[in-house]
Amino acid sequence: MASQVAPSSIQERIAPSDGIIIKTHDLWKTYDMGEAIAVQALCGVSFEIERGEYVAIMGPSGSGKSTLMNLIGCLDTPTRGKYWLNGNLVSELSDDELAYIRNKEIGFVFQTFNLLARASALHNVELPLIYSGVTAAERQERAEEALRKVELADRMHHKPNELSGGQRQRVAVARALVNDPSIILADEPTGNLDSATGEEIMKLFDRLHESRNTIVLVTHEHDIAAHAHRILHIRDGKIDRDERVQ
Amino acid sequence: MADFSPTRSRRKRRGLYSAWVTSREAFWLALEALRSHKLRSLLTLLGVVIATTTLISVMSVVNGMNLYFQERIANLGANVFIIHQFQWAQGYESFLKARRRNKPVRMEEYEFLKENLPNYKNICADSRMDGESDVRYQGHTMYDVRLEGTTPSFIDMREERVGIGRYFTDSDYQHSAMVCFIGQDLADEFFPNVDPLGKEINVRGTAFRVVGVAEKIGTTFGQSADKFVEIPLTTYQKVFIARPQIALSVQAWNPQQMMVLEDEARALLRARRHVPYNEDDDFGINASDTLMSAWDRLTGSVFAVTIAIVAVFMVVGGIVIMNIMLASVTERTHEIGIRKSLGARRRDILMQFLIESAVTAATGGLLGVFFAAIISRIVDIFFTSSVPAHAVIIGLALSTTVGLFFGIYPASKAARLDPIEALRTET
Repeated sequence: MASQVAPSSIQERIAPSDGIIIKTHDLWKTYDMGEAIAVQALCGVSFEIERGEYVAIMGPSGSGKSTLMNLIGCLDTPTRGKYWLNGNLVSELSDDELAYIRNKEIGFVFQTFNLLARASALHNVELPLIYSGVTAAERQERAEEALRKVELADRMHHKPNELSGGQRQRVAVARALVNDPSIILADEPTGNLDSATGEEIMKLFDRLHESRNTIVLVTHEHDIAAHAHRILHIRDGKIDRDERVQ
Repeated sequence: MADFSPTRSRRKRRGLYSAWVTSREAFWLALEALRSHKLRSLLTLLGVVIATTTLISVMSVVNGMNLYFQERIANLGANVFIIHQFQWAQGYESFLKARRRNKPVRMEEYEFLKENLPNYKNICADSRMDGESDVRYQGHTMYDVRLEGTTPSFIDMREERVGIGRYFTDSDYQHSAMVCFIGQDLADEFFPNVDPLGKEINVRGTAFRVVGVAEKIGTTFGQSADKFVEIPLTTYQKVFIARPQIALSVQAWNPQQMMVLEDEARALLRARRHVPYNEDDDFGINASDTLMSAWDRLTGSVFAVTIAIVAVFMVVGGIVIMNIMLASVTERTHEIGIRKSLGARRRDILMQFLIESAVTAATGGLLGVFFAAIISRIVDIFFTSSVPAHAVIIGLALSTTVGLFFGIYPASKAARLDPIEALRTET
């Protein structure tokens, strides 16, 4: 593993105690499509998210919200600009360091659940702990605890194909929680669910927020975004409007 | 609230432990994959299985032959060396040279060494008739019989043992008596229900009286060792060949003394034959070790060919595994994306697939060992074969290495996948 992560000296150093968990400054993401064609997916995005906030990032397709989500989730690094997560500059990390961050800081919830089909619910939830190097006994305990939080403890040995869509998403949420991340990052979490099940999942997120988790929700649906307390509207790669709701 | 920048050692320990856990998971995943697609697995492993089976089978046969050879042929008798016109186990070129140069060993030289060689346990001479002989008795004829003239001490030094009757006495020898000592095959053929002693058999037109029958010896490389007639060497000289070529056997008291005795015999003979000090011997001294090393040279070339064949199969098998792993990586691109999003580093993914590859190949190796053991059992019925322990270890190690080596490319491809792209892939 390479050097320690440290913020740039020319920017403000943000200590975790400040309560700001995400800070982005002038984020740009350019995709090179070859032949001198470049697509500007993000054009200078800057915002701050405080610990414990419930924020939705909303925009139509092509607005750059997926790109922004990939950056926030440390799946990718920006072409330009800076991103601080939990007090440390992550926008210039190596692949291995990004993997480490993802493991420790980010809890993903995807639209398509993204569970391992051949593993039980319990094993799926254990996965982040495996990559953290947690011992077997502790792993099992924490995974079971996480499944209890989403009320799926009785199904922990079932495989995904033995679970309903809503149950699968709850397993995914348990997995996102198991390593005690800084933020829960949900990408269209109800996109593959019917409206009733979708409501259940959104209620689950409400509960998580009440338990002082920071939630960042990416969606194109206003009904879903309305569950959050703040909506960042994104359009054409820029933050259009920062709306406080509730 | 996570500890963002843990100390290096804690990170390393965590890294090692997670590597261990990932390895274990990969191990079971690999076995599971093999089990769930049995036919595909078998085809994947074919190359490695064939290679390992071939390797171990050949090693087993060679091993069996080595043991057999050591027991039956290289065993000239305890601490015995044999002086003969030729070195028995030499290359073709040196044999041609020897044929031009070497002189046969004669009876006078036997007498000479018998007198002058110090401190031997025993010494004897024998001469084998070129070609096969016919032996007749009361209308029965036996063809292809080995005829040999020997000194009385021969029975104490070589393979034959007296079954019934006796061997030649010094008196027989001195008087060139017309007596003979026959092998078990002749006794079975001519005297199945009667006492052979005292009967007269006709060897190459001359009558000899049977004084003894040998114990059964058995076969050597398929040839019966019991089909012979031995007569006193003096009789042999009187009846058949006046100045025969002989083999001169000398027995020492122990292995160390044998080397000393060899040197002394060599010196005496060279002196008697006036061989200049800077020239090679014009005769051969043969002992177990020279035979064994010649044998090793022979099997060595067999082995070299085998290695080449095995190498080819291993490479082919490895390429097959590599291709199957590449397909597996493609199939599981989505899964790799999930793992990476959850924090799997490149080396975690790399190790997962490397281990799968190694386990797959090692399973092939195990199967190869299993098949080789069966083949060895079967071959041993007809010929000889014995699986050496180190062959199994070599087979397993080799196949695992092949798996690791040919798994590197697919594993590194998997490790380098972009998580975003991978996640976008449909399962």
